[in-house]
Amino acid sequence: MSAMRGIKVLELSENVSGEYCGKLLSDFGAEVIKLERPGIGSPTRQLGPFSEKGDDNERSGLFAYLNTNKRSVALDVTTAAGSVALQKLLSHVDVVIDDHASGWLKRIGLDPETLDENWPKLVLCSITSFGQSPPEDRLHAEDLTVFQASGLGYHTPSGSPDDMPPLKGAGRFLTSYEAGLDAALCISASLYEREVSQRGRFIDISKQQVLASRLDYVLGQMVAGDMDVSTNRTQFDLFGPAGIFRCRDGFAYIWMSAPSHWDGLRKLLGDPEWMNTFPERWLERECTPERVKLCRQYIAEWLATQEKEKVAAEAQKLGLILVAVNNAEDLKASPQYAFRKFFAEVNHPVLGATLHPTVPYKLSATPALITMSAPLLGQHTSLLGEQP
Amino acid sequence: MTQRMRGGPLEGVRVVELTKVWAGPYVGKLLAFLGAEVIRIESLDSLDVTRTYGVKDINKAPGFQAVNPQKLSVQVDMKKPEGIKLVLDLLSKSDVVVENLRPGAVKRLGLGYDVVKAAKPDIVFVSMGMYGSEGPLSYQTGYAPCFAALGGLSLLVGHEGSAPGAMNIRYADSTFGAAAAFATVTALLHRRRTGEGQFIDVSAVESMTSMIGDTIMDFSLNGVVHECDGNLHAEMAPHGVYRCANNEWLSIAVSSEEAWRSMAKVMGQSDNALFSTHAHRKANEAALNQAVSAWTADRDVHELVELLQQNGVAAAKSQSSVDLVADPHLWSRGFYREVTDKTGQTKNIIGPSWKMSRDAEITNAAPQLGEHNAYVFGELLGLSVEQQKQFADSGVTR
Repeated sequence: MSAMRGIKVLELSENVSGEYCGKLLSDFGAEVIKLERPGIGSPTRQLGPFSEKGDDNERSGLFAYLNTNKRSVALDVTTAAGSVALQKLLSHVDVVIDDHASGWLKRIGLDPETLDENWPKLVLCSITSFGQSPPEDRLHAEDLTVFQASGLGYHTPSGSPDDMPPLKGAGRFLTSYEAGLDAALCISASLYEREVSQRGRFIDISKQQVLASRLDYVLGQMVAGDMDVSTNRTQFDLFGPAGIFRCRDGFAYIWMSAPSHWDGLRKLLGDPEWMNTFPERWLERECTPERVKLCRQYIAEWLATQEKEKVAAEAQKLGLILVAVNNAEDLKASPQYAFRKFFAEVNHPVLGATLHPTVPYKLSATPALITMSAPLLGQHTSLLGEQP
Repeated sequence: MTQRMRGGPLEGVRVVELTKVWAGPYVGKLLAFLGAEVIRIESLDSLDVTRTYGVKDINKAPGFQAVNPQKLSVQVDMKKPEGIKLVLDLLSKSDVVVENLRPGAVKRLGLGYDVVKAAKPDIVFVSMGMYGSEGPLSYQTGYAPCFAALGGLSLLVGHEGSAPGAMNIRYADSTFGAAAAFATVTALLHRRRTGEGQFIDVSAVESMTSMIGDTIMDFSLNGVVHECDGNLHAEMAPHGVYRCANNEWLSIAVSSEEAWRSMAKVMGQSDNALFSTHAHRKANEAALNQAVSAWTADRDVHELVELLQQNGVAAAKSQSSVDLVADPHLWSRGFYREVTDKTGQTKNIIGPSWKMSRDAEITNAAPQLGEHNAYVFGELLGLSVEQQKQFADSGVTR
């Protein structure tokens, strides 16, 4: 059984944030109708990774990933005819998701300001870079610029020297995935209330705020005046010997902050002489830059001779927090991911059978499931005629 | 009670937290911001380290306060059977329980799903672990940077040709929490429609992999394993962060030919054939980035942002913590907002990432330890004043 069966969602999104939000709902069984411009389709169809085979509109692995369980209706809502069809659709759906720039919804005849009056039962969610009323100097944005405006960018990576540029973060679309997640959360909560109240709601998601709110532990202390602010690139950092080290077959990450970690390391290394030159409880009480540097040197020498998975398993059993730094291939081979069935095989008419990453939560009664591959462009346009 | 009637979509929902540090508390915070009544169960003998980290007064710990606004706190000794009984009584009157204790810890406490379900058959029970609650590696534990390393993110972050540098060390817990919160609310929706509760098992590592789904798809489709590549982007060029005057940094992302033509014009690069199309700019990206860097190097970052924005180019200052806390847009949207603690003192907090119609009121700072004992034990559980005193005297509640 699916948690969102019977819930009708109209997706106007043409970017990763709104499409990911729609996917989070459709994988829980919501009926998501995606409107795409005839002939062209969603711009995400033109973004990689691409399969070598297939028509240009149908070979994007990005689109295939983001649009599982959805239906595609070819309709241009910016035309007069499209606008009429849209108005009709709006009376049949429970939720609308959009991720165009603010102002676009009003232009297509779905003004958030008059939502309560015209569509009192509709849950309308708009995901934008800086919210509904962006300042003049924030009108144009991409995931990178939002990431950099949010505080995450300036402080990525940790321990960065001042003369190296701040970085983009992992992958191309982390900003959008994060925003899509908060959008899905707010939509789900609104549906929960709507079951009883029969009332809709307008939800205004700012990507900048999503990323900044993910930093609440530090940024919250800063805005409260409890933690110093500065122009230091390392202002969010925790200092100490923790970090990524090269191994024989890749990289491993080691965390060390407590005596138990030091003790674990001692056991794992067989009580080496160098550890006796450090005072007891130095990690907590006497964690000087010199000691950190020396400790890191010894760890680097040792880990360079180790294999990441094997040493991680040994370390974990001794209470030392050490893990492999995984890549996509490692994840596909992970026994834990296999156990939890994190990868699902999806059969797509053009891409063939492909393993998709799924969702990080297992629900015992209503698991998220992929039952349909992403739609071909306009595959379900005939649905338009079926609306009463 | 004002705690229960703050409006918002989750008004009337009661959540109990058995959580520590950041990821679990972040779930409760999101649910509280959506209107739920969120009660933290705390034990003086097993305090959340964020209550004690760097401070003497457990009621004034800045880290704890940052992640726990608008919540209630009860103090129960969970090492005593009477304490566990009280927790189960509270759970029997609650809708959700969220736990992120060490693997197996809730079972050892006598608060596993089976036990809680017996007390409250339609409970939504949310279990959070680095690798989830079961499986061959579920015994392993770690902190946020471990989640990002295991989930495939750390390897993707770093300068071209150098060892991976990873995401900021503060990244991961809150993303994990947001994924858990979405699953929780969806389970509540299902329960409201069918009466059925359930068990939710959330993996921190998988929550990380979800943030690079398209990168994983490239491996699935084409066998491509990505490595860190600085600020490069397959579909955008320029795509980078460039140094300006005063050691400030400007991010620029050019996603269309139109945007490039505008930018080339203001840079005086319109006639440069090396950069004429996206394919050319990707082929000559080192030269492109050099040209952009030379152009930004001595200029003021704010002037450049304004100029590029006027010309339709996505550009923003890379904001330091000073910039962020002063960001007028974040203040005007109510992202930073003021709350009041038990003593009447006001404090600024980080608000929600959203604005919504019929939003929940957010007025209260994080609770003092056990601040809401009387409300929870008296009003919710119906214990008499005398009974409450007995529990306190015997150390079950304090």
